[in-house]
Amino acid sequence: MSATLLETRQITRRFGGLVAVDGVDLDVAEGEVHGLIGPNGAGKTTMLNLLSGHLPSSSGSILFADADVTRHAAEKRAIAGIRRTFQNLKLFKELPALDNVMVGLHASTRSEIFHALLRTPFQRREEREIVERAREALDFVGLGPFADKAAGSLPYGHQRLLEIARAFVARPKLLLLDEPAAGLNGAESKALVDLIRRIRAAGTTTVLVEHHMDVVMPTCDRITVLNYGKLLAKGTPQDIRHNSEVIGAYLGKGSALKRERAAQEGAVHAAP
Amino acid sequence: MAYDQLLQTLLGGLAIGCIYSLIALGISMIVRATDIMHFAQGEFMMIGAMAGFSGAMLGNLPLPFVLLAGTLGGGLIAVAAELGIYRVLRRRRVPLINVVISTIGVSIILQNGARLAWGSEPLAYPRLFEAGGVSVLGFNVAPQLLWIVGLSLAIMAALTVFFRFSRTGIAMQAAAQDPDAARLMGISVERATVNTFAVAGMMAGAAGVLLGSLFFASFNMGFATGIKAFVAATLGGLGSVPGAMVGGLLFGLIETFAGSVISTSYKDAIGMVTLIIILLFAPMGLFGRQGRQV
Amino acid sequence: MGIIVNPNLLRILALLALAAVPLVESNSYWLHVFSVALIAAVLALGLQLLVGMAGMLSLGQGAFYGIGAYTAGIVATSFGLPFLLTLLAGGIAAALASLLLIPLVKLKGSSLGVATLGFSIIIHLLILNEEWLTGGSLGLMGIPDPEIFGLNLAHDEAFYWLCLVILALVYVSIDRINTSRFGRALAAIAQDEEAARASGIQIALCKSKCFLIAAFTAGLAGTLYAYHSRYLSPNDFTFNKSIEVLIMVVVGGLGSLPGAVLGAFIVVLMPEYLRSSGELRMILFGTAVVVLMGTGNRGLIGLLQAAASLVLSRLPSFGRSRYVVRPGE
Repeated sequence: MSATLLETRQITRRFGGLVAVDGVDLDVAEGEVHGLIGPNGAGKTTMLNLLSGHLPSSSGSILFADADVTRHAAEKRAIAGIRRTFQNLKLFKELPALDNVMVGLHASTRSEIFHALLRTPFQRREEREIVERAREALDFVGLGPFADKAAGSLPYGHQRLLEIARAFVARPKLLLLDEPAAGLNGAESKALVDLIRRIRAAGTTTVLVEHHMDVVMPTCDRITVLNYGKLLAKGTPQDIRHNSEVIGAYLGKGSALKRERAAQEGAVHAAP
Repeated sequence: MAYDQLLQTLLGGLAIGCIYSLIALGISMIVRATDIMHFAQGEFMMIGAMAGFSGAMLGNLPLPFVLLAGTLGGGLIAVAAELGIYRVLRRRRVPLINVVISTIGVSIILQNGARLAWGSEPLAYPRLFEAGGVSVLGFNVAPQLLWIVGLSLAIMAALTVFFRFSRTGIAMQAAAQDPDAARLMGISVERATVNTFAVAGMMAGAAGVLLGSLFFASFNMGFATGIKAFVAATLGGLGSVPGAMVGGLLFGLIETFAGSVISTSYKDAIGMVTLIIILLFAPMGLFGRQGRQV
Repeated sequence: MGIIVNPNLLRILALLALAAVPLVESNSYWLHVFSVALIAAVLALGLQLLVGMAGMLSLGQGAFYGIGAYTAGIVATSFGLPFLLTLLAGGIAAALASLLLIPLVKLKGSSLGVATLGFSIIIHLLILNEEWLTGGSLGLMGIPDPEIFGLNLAHDEAFYWLCLVILALVYVSIDRINTSRFGRALAAIAQDEEAARASGIQIALCKSKCFLIAAFTAGLAGTLYAYHSRYLSPNDFTFNKSIEVLIMVVVGGLGSLPGAVLGAFIVVLMPEYLRSSGELRMILFGTAVVVLMGTGNRGLIGLLQAAASLVLSRLPSFGRSRYVVRPGE
């Protein structure tokens, strides 16, 4: 049983009268791909913003690698090893793709203005390494040939991959993916599944917020389901697939019962 | 400070504050409708002052006509600038900062054009208000100040009514808040923008007549006052109409009181320091609204 | 098919062309004007880093220019420090003053612009009123000849080349900063602050450093101006200066270093060339500004690049500006 990398305890976020996330206990094990799903408005993206530090919490705590990061600002968490992509794509549109990814290495590198002014050997070596690692990351997501194109000029699917490259280049301890499959077609979704598997193989822990079940199911080790801001269910994809409460939340209570009855009838007919 | 001196200072501060408000209102309206930081607003005021002056000289006209001439002058030059320059630039889809810099160009053109037309010497406004003290609450005050405050408040009230109840005013607000939705409702956003400039220019023009009557008119009277009005609008929250009114009055009061209580040579600085302090605590100004940035 | 031009080659050519100016133009007045243009270019480069690269609309460069100029003037006349030290003093004084504005760095867009404009107004009033320090409206007089290790550089040509050398050093420095890790961080902040934070960039810290560098640069320019004009008057250091520098940067091309230099030359030289138009001079200048703003995206540098792309099929990358997107993309 691997160690818990990320844990939230009764994390809550209110917006005036609305409770977007309500006392959620999430635990993510090191090395796993952890899915975060739920119907629209369940609080998934709010949850992600709480995890990345882009939104402060109203109450509760967040522990990352055994350290309490609840009050830490977003950039501090990023430096500590939490990286993310954004649902609405936040690329540096006018910069080349390569530069976008190079920014991802900002916190892992050290050369200062002083070094840059004097072009010290240290700075030149570090710049070469940054470019090299950035190119590797672009290759890793399949965008190698597009390194010099302005990020804003890339097709939508490529832009999504570029955000992942920027978040992944620093080999973060925890990668938060915010609906990476949104707007992707079938082939692109399959490529995404493959990419997430390769990220997992590289040793990065991932939290995946996603709607598309054909991306969630094949990649996730465990899944947490939210509904109306509350924790609804936790478990393996198998458990979640057959959890009637989860089905009810997505499709409405009536269809959950229908499914159960169908499953029972199926069992009756299958029996010899 | 003696009571009548206090009252005079207060009234003076309100008067100049009202003038700042009238200009700041135009600035905020334009920002709200087009995101343009209009650095030539002070020059619209100056043109209004000059137009009023010429009107007074031509016909020896009384106050209402001079005010009308100034208001129309300001409005016309504003519409000309919008139709001739800003709209053309927007159609060419230049970046916003380019349009902002072009307003500086317009400011230069208007200042130097005015200098050619009216000369470099300051022009004395004819007496529009009765001289001699008027008694208010038993104290002696200059009537011009009362007139300026009264007229300005009347103009601002008329503006509020215009925005609230007239079709054109409501259309302007709709176009400013959500141009696409307004278009879907059949509102011509282009016409609303022209109207915005017209109203902003008219108010600046009126302010010019009032300011001219208080001191004098000259080709460069717009620049410093325009910048201060800009500061006042930012203080109140750039883009906010109530913010511009409050910001202008506040700025005028602070400036005038600082001038008489602390030091006249650092009068301007005190207003700026106040602005900086307020922005540190309320980065979007007192009534700030989230807007697109340059 | 086409010619690939090495950007460094272009820069060296431009430098040589500028260095040759005194050899071609012997008129003392024009050499002075060109020197002023070089000094303005230093100012413009500093603002380019702020506005063009970091996206911070600052109207405070005029104040730092004035602080640099008066610090250098005071230090040179009262303490007799040699030129190189006063140069440093001017830059450092401006940089220290910029620390006062660090709390403002979090402001966005026009709020930052107006607040820094306010700062320029405050500094101007200080210069005007504190006669014991600056000489007030009477001005600061008696600034000595600039000397480096005994070599007197007050002569027109020598001073011009001195300014050119300093401009070249500043240009190379800003270019190196721009293409460095720090420069990338600034570009990221200008494009999308939230995303920059998500990559671990500390926004306030980066913006403050940028502010400091720009202020230091303006202080250097101020010192050069002090030695150029030998006499400082508060009239030269109003907030108009801040606005003038902004015009230079936008006319030349936002985000482009050669654009900043080009814009500076245009803003300084154009009124001079228009002198013959007499009364209409400034009206023509204002009109020129408006027309130039209509040329769109990349300022004059953009126009030149577009023209060059018609001639050469492979574009030389002018100054590796971050905001240049090569044609065909």
